[in-house]
Amino acid sequence: MMETEEAQIATGLRRRDPDVLDALIEQYQHRLLRYLIHLTGDRATAEDLFQETWIRVLEKGHQYDGKSRFATWLMTIAHNVAIDHLRKRRPASLDEMREAEDTAPFEPVSDGPSPFEQVAALEDRVRIQAALEQIPAIFREVLALRFQEQMKLEEIAKLINIPLATVKTRLYRGVMALRPNLMGGAK
Amino acid sequence: MNSHEHERAIDLISRREIEGVTEAEARWLESHLAECGDCSQFELVLGSAEQAMRSFTVMASGSLVASTQSRVHARAVQLRERDSRRFLIAISFAMGVVFSTLSAWAWWEVGGWMVERLSLPPAIVGPGMVFFWLLPAVLLGILLLAFPESKFEGSVMHLLMKDRQRGIQ
Repeated sequence: MMETEEAQIATGLRRRDPDVLDALIEQYQHRLLRYLIHLTGDRATAEDLFQETWIRVLEKGHQYDGKSRFATWLMTIAHNVAIDHLRKRRPASLDEMREAEDTAPFEPVSDGPSPFEQVAALEDRVRIQAALEQIPAIFREVLALRFQEQMKLEEIAKLINIPLATVKTRLYRGVMALRPNLMGGAK
Repeated sequence: MNSHEHERAIDLISRREIEGVTEAEARWLESHLAECGDCSQFELVLGSAEQAMRSFTVMASGSLVASTQSRVHARAVQLRERDSRRFLIAISFAMGVVFSTLSAWAWWEVGGWMVERLSLPPAIVGPGMVFFWLLPAVLLGILLLAFPESKFEGSVMHLLMKDRQRGIQ
C-alpha cells in the first residue's frame, strides 16, 4: 500500500504534475515547516526555505525513485536547501546558526482540560522551547527528526549524510543539553 | 560496570521506541538500569524530551501554502518551456546535420572547384569541409538560442514545440 503511494508520488514528480505537487504541499506543510524552524531557529527564514524546498522538489523530482519514504526524501531536500542557505548567509558551521531575535518559532497547542493545566503545560512548552533554542542546531535537527518525524537512526544518518555513530552522539548530547530544563531544574 | 555497558545501554534506550529491541536486550537493559543511575537518568530525560517535542506543533499559514503552490506552478511552466526549447534545439540540430550530410557531395565539389580556381593549398579542403558541413546546424542552434520563443510564433518549429509541451503536460 505504502509502496504504491510512494510510486504514485514518484510518477507524479517525474511528470511535474501540478495536482500531485499541490497535494504534497498540503500534506507535508506543517511537518516541513516545523523541521525547517528547528533547523534555522527562525520562522521567517524557515518560510522562505519552505518555498525553496518545494521548488527544489519540483526541479529534482525525477530523482525520487519511490523506493524510499517520500517524507525522508523531502526532509533531505529541505536539509540541503537549508545548508545552501546557511552557507550563503554565513560561511560557518550549523553549530553557530542561531537567531537571537527569534522568540516564538512554535505555536503551542493547548491540550489541557483545565485552565490551570493549560497554563502549566504552556509554561512547560515555553521552557522546552527556550531550551531548544539554546542548543546547537545540529542537535536540534537530530532531536526533531527523531522525536517528531519518528525517523530511524539510520534514516537520519542518511538524510544528514553523517555516520550513524555521529547521529547517536548528537542525539545523546542533544538530550543531555535539554536535561536541566526537562528535569525542572535551573540551568 | 564498564564504559562499553553504558554505551550499550544508551544505544538500547535510544533505539527502544522506534527501532525496537529484542527481549534479551530488554531484559539486560532493565537489569542495567536498576543498577545505573546515569543511564536511568538518560532514559528519563529522553522520555521527557520526546514528550516535550511531540507536544509542539507548528501550523503553516494558508497564505504560505497558497503562495508556495503558486510559485511551484509558475516554475513548472518555466521548466516545461525550457524542456520544449531543448527538444526543439535538438530536433533542429539533427535536421541541420541531415541536410548538411545530404549536401556534402555538393560542398565537396564546390570546395574542389574553389581550391582549383583560387589555387588554395589542399590542406584547407578538409577543415573547410567540416566547417561548412556543421555550419547549418550551428547557425540553427544559435538562432534558436538567441531569439525568444515569440519570434517563432506560427512557424512549424513553434507548432512542434507546442505539441511537445502538450505531450509533457
